Amino acid sequence: MPFNQKPQKFNAKTNTVTIGSGDKTVTIGGNSTFPFYTFDAPTANAPKVGIEISDGGLEGFADGIKAFYEGAASMGEIAKKAASFAGVDFLALNLEGGDPNGANKSVDELIAIVKEVADAVDCPLVVEGCKNVEKDAELLPKVAEVLQGRNVLVMSEKEENYKAIGAAAGLAYDQIVGAESAVDINLAKQLNVVTTQLGVNAQKIVMNVGSAAAGYGYEYVVSTMDRIKGAALGQNDNMLQMPIITPVSAETWGVKESTASEADMPEWGNVEERGIDMEVVTAAADLAAGSDAVILRHPKSVETISALIKALV
Amino acid sequence: MTLFERVFNGNDAVYGLTEQAIDGAIAQYGEEKAVSFPDTAYCLPCYYAVTGVKVTTLKELKEALGVVKTLMTREKRLNDAFMSGVATALCAEFIEALKYIDGQVPYEQPLYGHLPDAVIRNLGVPLVTGDIPGVAVILGAAPTTEEAVNLVKSYQAQGILVTLVGGVCDQVAEAGMNTGDAVRVIPLGKDVTSVIHVVSVAIRAALIFGNVKPGDAAALMEYTFKRVPAFVNAFAPLDDVIVACGAGAIALGFPVITNETENIFRVPKSLIVQEDVSKFNATSLEARDIKIKITNVDIPVAFASAFEGEIIRRKEMQVEFDGSRVDCAELVQTVEASEIEDHKITVIGPEADEMELGSKNSIAYVVKVAGKNMQPDFEPVIERKFHNYINCIEGVYHTGQRDMQRIRISINAFNAGFRIRHIGEVLYTQVKNEFDAVVDKCEVVIYTDPAECTRIRHEVAVPIFNKRDDRLANLTDESVDVYYSCILCQAFSPSHVCVVTPERLGLCGAVSWLDAKATNELDPAGPCQVITKERPIDENLGSYEDVDEAVQKFSQGALEHVTLYSIMQDPMTSCGCFECICGIEPFSNGVVIANREYAGMTPLGMTFPEMASMTGGGVQTPGFMGHGKHFIASKKFMKAEGGIERIVWMPKELKEFIAEKLNKSAQELYGIENFTDMIGDETIATDPEELVAFLTEKGHPALGLEPMM
Repeated sequence: MPFNQKPQKFNAKTNTVTIGSGDKTVTIGGNSTFPFYTFDAPTANAPKVGIEISDGGLEGFADGIKAFYEGAASMGEIAKKAASFAGVDFLALNLEGGDPNGANKSVDELIAIVKEVADAVDCPLVVEGCKNVEKDAELLPKVAEVLQGRNVLVMSEKEENYKAIGAAAGLAYDQIVGAESAVDINLAKQLNVVTTQLGVNAQKIVMNVGSAAAGYGYEYVVSTMDRIKGAALGQNDNMLQMPIITPVSAETWGVKESTASEADMPEWGNVEERGIDMEVVTAAADLAAGSDAVILRHPKSVETISALIKALV
Repeated sequence: MTLFERVFNGNDAVYGLTEQAIDGAIAQYGEEKAVSFPDTAYCLPCYYAVTGVKVTTLKELKEALGVVKTLMTREKRLNDAFMSGVATALCAEFIEALKYIDGQVPYEQPLYGHLPDAVIRNLGVPLVTGDIPGVAVILGAAPTTEEAVNLVKSYQAQGILVTLVGGVCDQVAEAGMNTGDAVRVIPLGKDVTSVIHVVSVAIRAALIFGNVKPGDAAALMEYTFKRVPAFVNAFAPLDDVIVACGAGAIALGFPVITNETENIFRVPKSLIVQEDVSKFNATSLEARDIKIKITNVDIPVAFASAFEGEIIRRKEMQVEFDGSRVDCAELVQTVEASEIEDHKITVIGPEADEMELGSKNSIAYVVKVAGKNMQPDFEPVIERKFHNYINCIEGVYHTGQRDMQRIRISINAFNAGFRIRHIGEVLYTQVKNEFDAVVDKCEVVIYTDPAECTRIRHEVAVPIFNKRDDRLANLTDESVDVYYSCILCQAFSPSHVCVVTPERLGLCGAVSWLDAKATNELDPAGPCQVITKERPIDENLGSYEDVDEAVQKFSQGALEHVTLYSIMQDPMTSCGCFECICGIEPFSNGVVIANREYAGMTPLGMTFPEMASMTGGGVQTPGFMGHGKHFIASKKFMKAEGGIERIVWMPKELKEFIAEKLNKSAQELYGIENFTDMIGDETIATDPEELVAFLTEKGHPALGLEPMM
């Protein structure tokens, strides 16, 4: 019997969101198929890959990553270098140093870094908060303010601080809001509902529905993304049609597979390669489950994932 | 003079002045002279927002004045007064704009005049988040400087942004008060027209934060009314110009509170006369519906969930209150807003320091709440939280509820200064914080006088408890218009949806229909959503098109049909938190119920965990169903298959727990007395054949029923 292909047609699609301003922008979403189901319909916008840098400079990065940044000393130089690597679609600045339980850098100090990075590059920018909801509520509105006109994606808007971040990024300074929830379709939807009720345009929201490193409760991530795409396309649920961005590196570079030294774990092989593998494996799974963009740290991971996307779309 | 005439006169006067000022400016600078406010992208923001037209030159300003004139209709209808108010505000904006012509700096510290866009973006965020709960516009001079300062400080303490216009600016300066946007007290200017600078803030907020299109006056007014919590405090004497400005404020949805009594007209919710300036704050907040977030509980000991499990032994105890020995009660009562004073806490009877060390005393606390969205059905939901609230106090312990509560206050807490009135403080703060969606005002009365406690318990509380119990008992699936969904558990059971009805509580046992209703009211985008029941398919099965649509939606398509009353056809799914599982027992045509606590074997040859593996995870397994303990005695329990007379076996503990209610239902449904005596348990049989023998001996009705499959 001959194979008779029946495309799965949906009368719905995800929102199209463009990040960045001027000549260099990236556009995600706008698709009406499950991820990489190019046989059902052409993919409007292929997934995008971002490279992550931190307000702490190269400190805390694996040695292998540091090597790629050789010669870059200031945050501006690091940012420039990061943006220049092969396969990079956008730059993600993680302001983890603001965490009161960590380095607890002041808002002013972090804003100075944000400005330096933004001035150094013209590529689309994504800014991630410090994980502390109170500090983010103070910090991210300021980020949105100083980056006026850049059309950046301000991540880390959570249920606890959605008003401050949503109002500042989405209303006052016309940026894109990254709504973050913890691996639960209903929480993701509820956050989108309350954010839009605040007045934020649904077309200017991107979701971070939570992540995990592959093997670390990861099946919840797959199930959540899968169900979100299902609801967005199959049920035309417009409170779940926002594109999904997934910060991968923050999860994968902390797990034992990426950190255990070769002295401790000789049978696991080269530590840097393990780190890259964890990042690549997780990112590939995120994309297959429904992420429209991933944030990675190792330039080699970026290159690999970027090549994967090009091969599939 | 009528209110209309006052508004119209004031409007005419301001219009005349504006015309003169514009003509004068044109004579001085020529028509092409640029006119604008500094640091704004919205030209003359009020005029631009209302009309969609950008005014940039004196010539255009003159034309704009012609447009303003068209608003000044003179019919004696409310709308004419409002529009004249708006016209007055626009005239004020023109006059103020002329002050800035040719780069002049008309306002100097501490006065602000026009506020740049950047300030609005800055203030807008805390306004949207509620960190600035309101905007007060104080106009004119208070009767005394002290009153002016006290009023400003009262708003400041609540985080409200205060703007000052006219005489009050001097009064605040005279008192040496620190002003500025950093301390949220902004003196705008001394002319009444400078009030437009705060109106301009509200209007630009609508343009920036509300995406209101310039020229869409209706959307603009809706936004300012709904989202900008501003109000006006206007001090006597009010001239016609101020009255006309007031009409403009009211048109934007901002109520005006004044101490003027001469020639004034009260308009409910909009123009309010409050002669006592010290009550301006409370009156204004109530009129504008502003709720102040309470950030800390004002008591001399700590308040945290860490203290919830604290036990206070007799020798550590200062005093105790014991509902099982003396008359006690705890009660939430819904009252009219006018009947109570917010945050008033009264202790009637002796305080803790007037009680003997180690003594047993009476206590009854009545928490009176009022709110537009408050319903008596929420009273028990709020009341049930008291246990948790009082237990979170360091050195205070609480058990029980209703008129059976028991409270101990430790010697340490007492020595730290903790008194009975602080219980009121805790209840007030927590109720206001946690139930802010329904509670607007809250007052607490605590009785410790034994005679009063007896009265409150027997004459007030117990009748209310009885009434509530009757309501609960009479609450049937048929008597309500809607059911509720509950998807609290979807985080780990993605396709499960509970349909909560009055007679079928959530399978976890923790979410009753009233709880779901309250959850929906408190958190409208939350886990409990309304399910209508307008399109029944089969009432006996409890199937509805509405319910099917809801489960399809909330399970993202994983479930298509769910019946409320059948265990065989499309039974309701389970997450995994079920208190009990009911499974079909083929030998007896009946069902076996096992509760989570039961560790032994059932006649099905399965233990609870084994049954759970068949039932959980949001799958529909005909013949198996998870449910709450209280559902067992419900007349809707697997009604489609005959109801509770199918129950043939339960663990002894569960049987005893539910016996009274189950026997009552069986009596009412089938006329069977002591039905639970016919039901087997693990002490009788865990083998199906022995069970059938027992059932036969007892004449259990299930044996005579049709097979279930």
